[in-house]
Amino acid sequence: MISRLHLPRSARFRWTVAVIFVGFALLVPPLAGLHAAINPDVSGKFEIFLATQAMVLALWAVSYNLMLGYAGMVSFAHAAYYGVGAYTVGLLFQRFHLPVLAGLALAPLLAAVFGLVTGLAALRAVRLYFSLLTLAISQVLFSIAFNWYGFTGGDNGIHGLEVPDQLTDFTVLYYFVAAVVGLCLALMLMLTRSPFGAALAAIRENRERARAIGINVKSYELAVFTIAATFAGVAGGLYAVFQQQAFPEQLYWTQNAQPVVVALLGGTGTFLGPAIGAFVYTLLDNLLSKNFPYQFDILLGAIVLGVVLVVPGGFSALPDLFATLRARFHHEPELKPVESAGESMERADVGKVVRIEAVQADPAVVERGEPLLTVQGLSRAFGGLRAVQDVDLVVHAGDRHAIIGPNGAGKSTLFNLITGRLKPDAGRVIFAGQDIKGRPPHTIARAGIGRAFQITMIFPKLTVLQNLQYAMLAHRGRTVRPFGRADRMFREEAMELLEAVGLDQYAELPAGQLSHGDQRAIEIAISLALGSRLVLLDEPTAGMSPFETEKAMELVRRVAQEKHLTLLFCEHDMEVVFGTARTVTVMHQGRVLTEGTPDEVRANADVQKVYLGELEAEAVG
Amino acid sequence: MNPAQVLLFAVGGLSNAAYLFIVAAGLSLVFGALRVINMAHGSLYMIAAFVTVVVAEKLGLAFGFWSGLLAALIITGVIGAIIEIVVLRRVYRAEHLVQLLGTYALTLIIAGLVRIIFGPNYRTVKSPALFTGSVSLAGFSYSVYSFFMIGAAIVIAAGVYVMLYRTALGRNIRAAVSDPELLSASGIDVARLFTTVFVIGACLAALGGVIVAPSQAVGSSMDTDVLVLAFAISVIGGLGSIVGSLVGSVIVGEVYSFGLQYAVTNQFALAFVFIIMAAVLIIRPWGLFGTPEQ
Repeated sequence: MISRLHLPRSARFRWTVAVIFVGFALLVPPLAGLHAAINPDVSGKFEIFLATQAMVLALWAVSYNLMLGYAGMVSFAHAAYYGVGAYTVGLLFQRFHLPVLAGLALAPLLAAVFGLVTGLAALRAVRLYFSLLTLAISQVLFSIAFNWYGFTGGDNGIHGLEVPDQLTDFTVLYYFVAAVVGLCLALMLMLTRSPFGAALAAIRENRERARAIGINVKSYELAVFTIAATFAGVAGGLYAVFQQQAFPEQLYWTQNAQPVVVALLGGTGTFLGPAIGAFVYTLLDNLLSKNFPYQFDILLGAIVLGVVLVVPGGFSALPDLFATLRARFHHEPELKPVESAGESMERADVGKVVRIEAVQADPAVVERGEPLLTVQGLSRAFGGLRAVQDVDLVVHAGDRHAIIGPNGAGKSTLFNLITGRLKPDAGRVIFAGQDIKGRPPHTIARAGIGRAFQITMIFPKLTVLQNLQYAMLAHRGRTVRPFGRADRMFREEAMELLEAVGLDQYAELPAGQLSHGDQRAIEIAISLALGSRLVLLDEPTAGMSPFETEKAMELVRRVAQEKHLTLLFCEHDMEVVFGTARTVTVMHQGRVLTEGTPDEVRANADVQKVYLGELEAEAVG
Repeated sequence: MNPAQVLLFAVGGLSNAAYLFIVAAGLSLVFGALRVINMAHGSLYMIAAFVTVVVAEKLGLAFGFWSGLLAALIITGVIGAIIEIVVLRRVYRAEHLVQLLGTYALTLIIAGLVRIIFGPNYRTVKSPALFTGSVSLAGFSYSVYSFFMIGAAIVIAAGVYVMLYRTALGRNIRAAVSDPELLSASGIDVARLFTTVFVIGACLAALGGVIVAPSQAVGSSMDTDVLVLAFAISVIGGLGSIVGSLVGSVIVGEVYSFGLQYAVTNQFALAFVFIIMAAVLIIRPWGLFGTPEQ
């Protein structure tokens, strides 16, 4: 759940909802006036006031959803930044006699500073521990607001803020708040569609894979945390302006229930969902919480539980659900992923010219066959088990270098040490003249080492096309851009690569819905899409049919040749090894046993003994 | 501060630590075996405290508290089993944020129900007849009940230890903590084991709630108040480690107790607890006695 769309939703539906929402937001004051005219029991002013409240909540919830829905982070500190915004306005007015609008302008800045500093601390931890750290931060900020009577006014809070005369009218105040919220929403929408937003989606879907395509996960998380805090600061500032007060309970950690419930209510998978959820929530709150305050809590709990257990994606996912049901009812032909192995690969056009922008490969270096990767004395132990011991390895530019060895020989560990997923105990790793030993995975990826994992590591809920587009964006350092449309970038290049692996027909399907063999093909395509100088493939064809294997390796060979890429791969399938490799290194029990051309290795008595030994062990076991 | 005062505050801190340990141990045990942070743990604690109050009011001083204890354990245990079977089973394989949100939803639901059933007002219950009154020591008077709390925590700690290290159930729980995959391959009924562990966790929350009830006002904000402290303790000690819960609760109890004694720090006694929690997480994210997550 908490994911983007499971099915491509019709763009028309989304536009309709957006237009209705914006239209409604613009027409709130006249509608309220009309309502009051028809029904004298209704207070038009009060309805406008409620809509103002809903607007502020919408901003707060959408900013929360930047973390929850787009980056997959649960924070308990978001209410604290909202409170920082409210207190900025309140304290500047009360202590320094600054007008509230000046306070409102400074609120996002202060919230950003708080978000950045506390985010630096919180992001020392990941996932659950991150959530708990935000809880601690939120409680510290709360107790400062609650207890520091001398400055914050303690539990009394701050009251009696004065708004400028122009804003005292309810309608004007509403349009003012709506304009600020609208501007913030537009900025956040731009952000989520940009390459920056693409990086967040990648992190949410698969942190490990995100690192391996060159995304500095921590920095992006810190950035989105700070940005979300900034907008929460605006929301809090707006609250202080229109309610003319600030109080410590705003910062208490349980307050985070509001944006969470609202985001889930509207759907975390869409941009506008939480904003619509805010209006629904405000309405429910107004109808229920006065007469049935406890029942309201129960209702909120039931909504969250219902969304979590029954309708993943929230209520905005319902149209998708209906669309699927309708399609089934009308027996519309559905584009179903092929489960039988090999069918996609049959379509594969491995001869297709693929325009991957190979960012670093230098044909001259490849021509000379200089050492591209040099590993010296690399070791790593897990407890008593020495997984990799004193390994020396030289991979020459332009080579196709295979590492073979029985299970447990240390091949995957060696790959993990080279790509930075594991830290070596000793030794050196030199890539293109740089010592990359012990560097974080994203730096190593960006330095020019791409990778396909042994277990499929794709972004399951992103489309097949996005999987490749985002890899291309990330590896070329474009994901820092907070504007532009990520989905329009590298579209053709990604499509060409998909045609080459025969997956173009599934371009718009979520990658996780494809069959195992097809997902392996995506895994390989991602490693090629990176356009890295050195491509590491860890058992690239594991689980593929012989036919798929042959096609996939043909593609890998050809792209490597054309783009002057260097390949380092490990593989159990000896046909793949001897059909592709020009150099073979044999590992056994964490050490290098021998190295040579395929023919030399085949003839080596030690190698035969190792493999024979394994065969015997298998026969016995 | 003279030694007699230090002793007074230290005992105060230990009696805080006592009920906090019981609650945090349950949270930690559940996390260790099930890998789920139960946000509703504080809610179970609150239910138990209210049940004790109501039963004690009905039955009077002689048996009230002890009957309350029994009733609270049974009721909370049953609710725990229902929660595990209806909600948690569906989210074990989900991302941690689904688990957080799911159990968080339970806190909202339980908080609403508790207010409807028991009313929004603060309630109190007298301590059991055996442990009323106070004793004088080095010029200060100590309530007997705080020694009972400390004693009860020690007994419960010993009980948990025996359960974990001397019984077949404990062996299975430890296996679940160290290697969940191996456990499922070993033929143990994992679903039943998880329900059992969750019920034990719920009963620990209940014991905490019952034991704390005579020492403070019982109200509808008890759930979140204790939950944040139990989080702080589990994080400081290391989630999943019972020894960690013990050390963490002593640290939190004492910091809070001594923090309240100085004019300068007294406003921020609670903030100190969270600053320590943050410091531990930053330096050693898996806590003092925890193991790093893979």
